[in-house]
Amino acid sequence: MIVRRTTLAGALALTRAEIADMFQYRTQLFIYALWSVIGPIVYLAVWGSIAGDGDVGGLRQSDFAAYYLTFMLVTQLTVAIEIYTFGPMIQQGELSPHLLRPMNPVWVAAARNISYKSVSMLLMIPLWFGFVFILRPEFSVTVGSVALFVAALMLAALLSFLVGTTFALLAFWTTRSYSFWEIWVWLTFLLGGQVAPVELLPGFVQNLATALPMRYTLGFPIEVLLNRLDAGQLALGFALQILWLAAAALTVRAVWRAGIRQYSAVGA
Amino acid sequence: MPPDVSVRDLVKHYVVPERAGGLRASFRSVLRRKHRLVRAVDGISFQVDRGEVVGFLGPNGAGKTTALKVLSGLLHPTDGEVDVLGFTPWDRRAEYLSRITLIMGQRQQLFWDLPAADSFLVNKAVFGIDDAVYTRTVDLLTELLDLGDLLTKPVRQLSLGERMKVELAAGLLHGPRVLFLDEPTIGLDVTMQQRIREFVTAYNAETGATVLLTSHYMADVKALARRVIVIDKGQLLYDGALDGLVRRYAPHKTITVHLERETDLPDLNGQAEILSVEGLQVTVRAGKDDAPEVTGRLLTQLPIADLSVEDPPLEEVIDQVFRGEGP
Repeated sequence: MIVRRTTLAGALALTRAEIADMFQYRTQLFIYALWSVIGPIVYLAVWGSIAGDGDVGGLRQSDFAAYYLTFMLVTQLTVAIEIYTFGPMIQQGELSPHLLRPMNPVWVAAARNISYKSVSMLLMIPLWFGFVFILRPEFSVTVGSVALFVAALMLAALLSFLVGTTFALLAFWTTRSYSFWEIWVWLTFLLGGQVAPVELLPGFVQNLATALPMRYTLGFPIEVLLNRLDAGQLALGFALQILWLAAAALTVRAVWRAGIRQYSAVGA
Repeated sequence: MPPDVSVRDLVKHYVVPERAGGLRASFRSVLRRKHRLVRAVDGISFQVDRGEVVGFLGPNGAGKTTALKVLSGLLHPTDGEVDVLGFTPWDRRAEYLSRITLIMGQRQQLFWDLPAADSFLVNKAVFGIDDAVYTRTVDLLTELLDLGDLLTKPVRQLSLGERMKVELAAGLLHGPRVLFLDEPTIGLDVTMQQRIREFVTAYNAETGATVLLTSHYMADVKALARRVIVIDKGQLLYDGALDGLVRRYAPHKTITVHLERETDLPDLNGQAEILSVEGLQVTVRAGKDDAPEVTGRLLTQLPIADLSVEDPPLEEVIDQVFRGEGP
């Protein structure tokens, strides 16, 4: 894919402005950040108490702590917000000013995604260290696993963004794109490594989770960081992640092209 | 030189869901949704030459804004051909978007919580405007629009008029050659409307840009456009000089006389109709061809202090066009 030089410069300038804009909403972001740590703490509490002094499927209490504390950061860094940012723009005709610029408005969604994460991370990181201090998880990470984790995390964030964008683009056709998005959120909850690490899912469901894209937006980077995968599983994981990424990119492109023909620029 | 804008048989239809109010209609619409076809633009053709300023007139829902949205590449038309500066607008090529602008009175492209200068910098980067040109353009726009320190205040703190000025400037940073202005003065007070009009005139003179504008305010059109395109219900009713519109659709002249003293009015032979008598002021309407004769008779037979012959106000003419009256 060829990206124009001015598009990159534009996206960068846009991200800078979005970050400045985002700071206006810091209280709101702080509340979101607080809310987003509650989920993992609950999962951790439940799994921790089940594991007790023993283990569940080979995972001890401190393993769960490591998993869900990593989850806390990963979920914040990979979360797709496009249904709330990009979808309404399409629905309310606010896409129009962006369509007049020589830059695909998907970049606007990307800039908002990046700025949201940058600003909310400023709040999350101190909070996160607080939890680490209290819960004292055992991170068995290596330099290699950290490097692979960074790669898997970036791919996961990108995949998640593209999936979120696809659902947001449904706003070209329906005013109820949220309903479709809910399905994705539930599937991620069950199969993405949220309610339970994928390795704890029962056989058939685990295979399903391995094949479907949800894990590659959330659970996979965590498993990579915590060294829960052997070389074969790692290779398969990255291959599937890249495959889903390519599929998502093509989908966004196709849906965008069809949607823009459909755009009615309501009221704008 | 080919025209800057060329539109042939442009059609844009929308399908909109429709249902009556009330719970029952609401249930019914779950099972079977009714749709209605809206013919927003229904086969219009026109051309605009380089440097021309053309007013797009029509009542609400006439299709003006839809036409502008197609021309600026926001909408794909249902049918027809459009060529602007050699491009098909809805291909939305970067080269095309860099040469045009669409400014909508009710929509804003500026970051609400940030000073407009931040939004300007985004446009500078997106359009790839180099530093020298950017500085020169901002200076020119600041002068023409009297922007002063507006660029450094958060947009939400600007008044509607101030915001419109900044919005205009933002839309013109990249030096577009074709301007589509949709209701650029809507909601502004008279002074600010005047200001925007003067700006558009100056900008057109300075840059030779082509301007196509819609407006509800006749004053905008009178001040800016020598040529008007009138559309209603998606169809073109008139395309030509503003004076011609008045001549064609207003076959009357209004003659107003101020008398020196009270007197009986002469017989007008059915050539004119007395519209009003208010004290010493008499207003008479005469057919355009009869107007000279009627005026002559009034002058010779009445003790006249003052007399004027005028076309009816443009608003009245337009109203007549929209109601399908006239020739």
